[in-house]
Amino acid sequence: MALHETAADARAHAAPTSAPTLRRQDLADDARPKSVAAPALPLDARRLRTLFLDLLGRPPFPAERAEWLGRGAHELCDALLGVPAFWRHWLDEQLYYFLLIDNFRPVGQGVESILTELAAGRYSVRDAVHRIALLPSFDQRNPGADTFVTVVMEQLVGMTVQLSQRELEIGKGAYDGRSGVFLGAPAANQSDVVAVAANHKVAARHFLAREYERLIDAPIERRELAQAARAYHKDPLGYLATLRGWLVSEAYTARIERGKALPNRLFVSALFVDVLDREPTAEEAETLRGALDGLGDSRPLRAVVVRMLLDSGQVELPAKASLADPTAWVAAQFERLLGRTATSDELRVFVEAFHEPACNPRTILQVLLSDPAYHRY
Amino acid sequence: MSEAISRRELLRRAALLGVLTPSWLASGALAGPLAPLVQGRKTKRVVLIAFAGGVRTRETLGAPEGVPNMAALAREGVTFSRLRTSNLGHFGASMSIFTGVSEPRGIRDNQRGPDPTLFEYLRKDLGFGQGDVWVTTSGGAQQTNYSYGLHADYGARYGATILDGDGIFNAKFKGLLDTFGRPKPESPERAALSERLRRGLGSGASAAERENLERVERYILDELTRGTTGISGANAGDAKALRLARNLLTIFKPRVVGVVLQNADIAHGSFNAYSEVVRRNDVALGELVAAIKEDEELRDSTAVFVLPEFGRDRDLNSRRGLDHGDGSDDLNYVAGVAWGPDFRRGHEVTEDLRTIDFTPTICSLFGAKAPMAKGAVLRGLFS
Repeated sequence: MALHETAADARAHAAPTSAPTLRRQDLADDARPKSVAAPALPLDARRLRTLFLDLLGRPPFPAERAEWLGRGAHELCDALLGVPAFWRHWLDEQLYYFLLIDNFRPVGQGVESILTELAAGRYSVRDAVHRIALLPSFDQRNPGADTFVTVVMEQLVGMTVQLSQRELEIGKGAYDGRSGVFLGAPAANQSDVVAVAANHKVAARHFLAREYERLIDAPIERRELAQAARAYHKDPLGYLATLRGWLVSEAYTARIERGKALPNRLFVSALFVDVLDREPTAEEAETLRGALDGLGDSRPLRAVVVRMLLDSGQVELPAKASLADPTAWVAAQFERLLGRTATSDELRVFVEAFHEPACNPRTILQVLLSDPAYHRY
Repeated sequence: MSEAISRRELLRRAALLGVLTPSWLASGALAGPLAPLVQGRKTKRVVLIAFAGGVRTRETLGAPEGVPNMAALAREGVTFSRLRTSNLGHFGASMSIFTGVSEPRGIRDNQRGPDPTLFEYLRKDLGFGQGDVWVTTSGGAQQTNYSYGLHADYGARYGATILDGDGIFNAKFKGLLDTFGRPKPESPERAALSERLRRGLGSGASAAERENLERVERYILDELTRGTTGISGANAGDAKALRLARNLLTIFKPRVVGVVLQNADIAHGSFNAYSEVVRRNDVALGELVAAIKEDEELRDSTAVFVLPEFGRDRDLNSRRGLDHGDGSDDLNYVAGVAWGPDFRRGHEVTEDLRTIDFTPTICSLFGAKAPMAKGAVLRGLFS
C-alpha cells in the first residue's frame, strides 16, 4: 500500500469508481517505453507527481512511481496522452471551466459518448467543446437567449460581450429562430450559434490560450499562440502533439519549479490516492470539491478532510513499532507527498519527534498533508 | 459633521493603553470591544445583502405586500428607488456592488476581479481581522471570488472569510462526514507536537492566522450539526446564505457580513418560481433582521443594506419566465434599502443613484476610504 510502497499494483486495491484508471492495455504498443539511454527530462518525484496530476488529475500510485521514476518525461507523455483516463480528466477540466458542476454537472450518455469518441480519435477537442455546449446541462446552466449567447461568446470565443453588443443581438435573434450572420457565418437557431462559435478561428486561439495557462500557469507568447492556433484550426486532432510539446518545454519546467496552487478538485483526488490508495468515487470527488469550493480560503476545510480520512480507520497506517528505520520512512513520505527530498534539519526534527510517545505515523502524515507545499504542485 | 478617528490615532490610543501587540493587531482584536469608528455615529457593524440573481423592483418594493420584511426595513430606513446598474452578468454586477466599480466580467468567469473589495478597504484601512469580515454566498465556486481582488496594494491578506451555504452545508457533504466519521479533536499535547513539526518545515502559520483557521474549522463543524443543512426549497441556497449570516452575526458579532444571493435567476424558466424565491428570501431576511433586533448588542449598532445587482426584462419570455437583456428600466434600475442607527427613517430617495455607491458609503460609515471605487457616498442616507 501507499504508505509502505510495497504493493505490486495499488490500482488492484482501488475501490470501485466510475472514473476509469489508467490500464496498460490502454497504451498503444508504440507508446511504450523503449529507450534505455539517460532521458533528457528525467522524472524526479516532483515532475512525476506534477505530470500525473496534470494529465490524469491524480498523483501516481506506488506501482506507477516505481515504474516511472528516473525515466523520461517524453516517455510518460507518450504513455498517458490520449488514454481514457487522460480524456476523463481533460473533460472534467472543461466542464469545470464551463462551470458545469454541482447540479449542472452532466451525467449520462451525452457526456459519456464525448469521452468514447475522444478516446477513439473520432472527436477532436474542438468537437468535444462543441458537444459540451450542446449538452442539456449547458442549456440549463445558461438559460435564456441573453445568457446563453453571452456565455457562448465569452467562453467559446473569448469575447468581451459588452464590446460586441451587435453580435450579441444577432446571436440572440438566431437563438430565437431568426436568421442572421453571427460572427461572420449564417446562423438560424441555437445549435447554429454554438457551431459558429465553436468552429470560429478566434475560438481556436482562445482555447489554446486557456489550455496553455491551465498547464503552464502563465500566458502563452503571442507568436507561439498564433502558430499553434493556425495548426489547431487546420487540424484539431493534432492538439495532443501541441500539448506534448508544452509538457516537455522549458516553460513547463519553470512552472514546476515555481509551483502552482493545487485546485480543490485535484486536492481531493491527490488526498485519496495518497492516503487511501484509491481514487475517490465520482460522488465523493464532487461532494468534497463542492464543499471546498464553498470557501474563499479552503484551508480550514482541507484540514478537516485530511483528518477525516486519517481518522476514518480506512487508512492502513504502519504501526509505529513496525518501522525499523523511521528516518527512511519519514524521508520517503517527504518524497511521496511533497515531491522533494527532506533536508537534514527537517529529518532530524521529524525523527526526534517520531520517537516521542505522543507521535505516531499519523501525526507525521497529518503535518505533511497540511503543509503548504502539499497544496501546490 | 462626523469626525473619523484615524487609524493612526486609534493605534496611538491603543498603545497608550498598553494593549497593542503584533498578534493582537493581526488577530483583528482592534475590533474587540466594539465601538463606532467614526465619532458621532452609532454604527459598529454592517450587513450588506446583494439580493442577486436579477430582481426587479416590481417584485420587491414595487409590491411591498409580497416582501413585508424588506418593506418594513424601508419604512424604518431609507429607500433608494432608482439605483442605476448595468447588465454585466450576475457575477460582474454583484462584484460591482462590492468593489464600487462597474465590473464587466464574463458570466461564467471564475476569477477574481482587478479592483479591491469593500472588505479589503476596511481590513487594510481599519485593521479589521479576517474574523471581522465574513461573506456568505449562494452561488458556489464563482462567488468565492468576491473575497478579495487582485490589486497589488490589497489582495488575499485583506480578504473576507467566505462560506458558500449550499456548497458546504448540504446533505451529501454531511453524509460523507458521517460515513468517514468526524475527525477526532486533537489533544493539546499532540497539537503542540504538530506545531513543532510545522515549524520544522518552516511553514507554521502566524498565531492569528492559525486562530482564524481553527475558528472557521470549528464553525463549519458546529454549523453542520445545526439546521442549515436541512434547508430545502426553491431558494435553498439563498436561505442557507442568509441563515449563515444570521448565525455568524449572532455568534461572532463581526464588523461586516456580506451576503450574496442567486436563486432568483430561476426566473429564466418560471416567473412563478422566481416570485416564490423572492417571497421566501424576504422571509429569511426577516429572520435575520429579527435576530439583530433581538440581540441587545446588535440592535442599535447594526446597519443593513439590501439591493439587487440588476433587475430583469420588462416582458415575459416564451417560457413565461423573465430573462435579463432587454435594456429596459426594469433591468437597469433596482430598488434598495438601508436601515440602521445612523440613517434617516421612512425616507425615500428618488433621484438616480448607483449600485456602485454602496461600497464607498459603507467605507465612509466606518471612516475608511475606498480610493479605487468609482461610486460616491449615497446622498440622502444619513440622518
